[in-house]
Amino acid sequence: MRSRLSWLLLPYVCVFAFVAPALANEKAEPDPAQSTYWEPIRKIMFGDREILDGKDVLRVYLPLRADDASTVPVTVKAQIDQQPDFYLKTVYLIVERNPSPAAGVFHFTLDSGRVQLETRLRFEDFSHVRAIGETSDGKLYMSSRWVKAAGGCSAPNARNYVPPALMGKMKFKFEDETIKYDEPALVQLMIRHPNESALAGDFDPSKVARFVRSVVVSYAGKPVMTAEVDFSISENPSFRFSFVPHEAGELRAEVEDTHDQRYMQTLTVSEGQKLPGG
Amino acid sequence: MQMLIRVFLVLLFMCASWVRAQSVAPLPVSEIAPGNFVHYGGLEERSAANLGDNANIGFIIGNKCVAVIDTGGSFAVGERLRTTLRARTALPVCYVIITHAHPDHFFGAAAFRGEQAVFVGHQNLPRALQQRGRFYLNTLIRDLQDLARGSEVVEPSLLVKDRLELDLGGRTISLTAWPTAHTDNDLTVLDLSTGTLWAGDLLFVQHTPVLDGSITGFLSVIERLAQSAPAHYVAGHGRTDQSWKAALEQERRYFQLIADETRRALKSRRTLQHAIDTVGVSEAENWVNFELFHRRNVTAAYTELEWED
Repeated sequence: MRSRLSWLLLPYVCVFAFVAPALANEKAEPDPAQSTYWEPIRKIMFGDREILDGKDVLRVYLPLRADDASTVPVTVKAQIDQQPDFYLKTVYLIVERNPSPAAGVFHFTLDSGRVQLETRLRFEDFSHVRAIGETSDGKLYMSSRWVKAAGGCSAPNARNYVPPALMGKMKFKFEDETIKYDEPALVQLMIRHPNESALAGDFDPSKVARFVRSVVVSYAGKPVMTAEVDFSISENPSFRFSFVPHEAGELRAEVEDTHDQRYMQTLTVSEGQKLPGG
Repeated sequence: MQMLIRVFLVLLFMCASWVRAQSVAPLPVSEIAPGNFVHYGGLEERSAANLGDNANIGFIIGNKCVAVIDTGGSFAVGERLRTTLRARTALPVCYVIITHAHPDHFFGAAAFRGEQAVFVGHQNLPRALQQRGRFYLNTLIRDLQDLARGSEVVEPSLLVKDRLELDLGGRTISLTAWPTAHTDNDLTVLDLSTGTLWAGDLLFVQHTPVLDGSITGFLSVIERLAQSAPAHYVAGHGRTDQSWKAALEQERRYFQLIADETRRALKSRRTLQHAIDTVGVSEAENWVNFELFHRRNVTAAYTELEWED
């Protein structure tokens, strides 16, 4: 079974695969509103829905230049708190000129705390990166950043081979040594996985590229971050996000890749207990 | 009308010859040891102006034939290298050795296709070229446009797993395939008769060292290289009068600092972005192109070392 998102974007994967060789040449920052890449993506992902200026709802941070095309850190920060009557429900992360532009769709809940999401992206080319937030009232808000591609020998492909024995190995790393109940805790989920690109030069199109497609994280049985992701995410995918623990509980990550392999990592967390990360 | 066509054809031929003459001006080379000719590529970023002439490349002439070591960053640079070589010898080119799968070293290879040479590389070279070749060609075309023409990925047919000796006639060269360091396909060439070591990108001088393999691997390969004592050496980038040991030590110190500071950042629970912004910045004044490569090195170091336990 493929995620709905992949199906939706499939025609674009094909179109962009052919367009990709004609790489862009802009070094200066173009206007995101004028981008010819954006319109078809917007149509297929959001139809005719209005997309509002996002600066008061969410912001996206990236370096101006993708120093390492295989691993560019990106941070999305909500500008609003998660209140029962108004909260950030979903973040769509789009690398407009990648062969598969939708890097991920991330869902949050009231137990996520004020949304902060960090991951690492691959870049095939100069590109606008767009973060679109959907709030609980169903409105869409967008922020974007322009990223210049790396030069020289930097490439978006995996740097090293992941031995089969390490495949799916996971780690949780906390920002702080301990948590406090009712306060957001930032945690990084690391997954050992090649996250193969279906468009790498050596990829046999008769095979299914092996990449992580779904990540479900819960705390004490309640979802805190759920994501449908793609191979625009770097090898050894990493996701950093927050959750609000109200009592001792189990942090659980369930990951599934396109070869239907499932991996799970759990950690029991309580106040005062020293947490991994340093 | 026929006359016009003839004039047109003559003009076309002249243009073609002119373009060809332009692209095959020889490259300056230095004979750093008898029979070892090095062209020092520029240190600046690749551009249409320099055609990707950004790496040190060259050739070794034996009594029977010639080995080319790296070919420059485009077909045009490879052609210029071949012209230079042909100005010095009529012997056949029997080997074209690619020290690793980076575009500034291999995109000139196609210029040697007509030479009947055997293309040689590390056993991991074909995989790396397959994975990245398309992307590298696209970005070469982005940067050089029409001037990239002719550039292509040439698959090696002779692979080195560990060590391999090749006879050039009265001169033997010894090739070593290294474990993952600068890349996972680094190859060095030692001319045994003069003790000249072509280090490829296992050694950078002046130019910021680049990490595209493993930082722990690079440090241990540097340690092994420091035990050798070549009479002459060629770095992958840059040139210096420093001794082999002193040049290697500069590079070792840079990577050791990055490894130490990255591990410290990880221990203090710092993010990748924080590490990129802070690790190793004190090294900026010691290297050329620091802005282009240093942050990338920290990224590679961090994403490797964060899996250490």
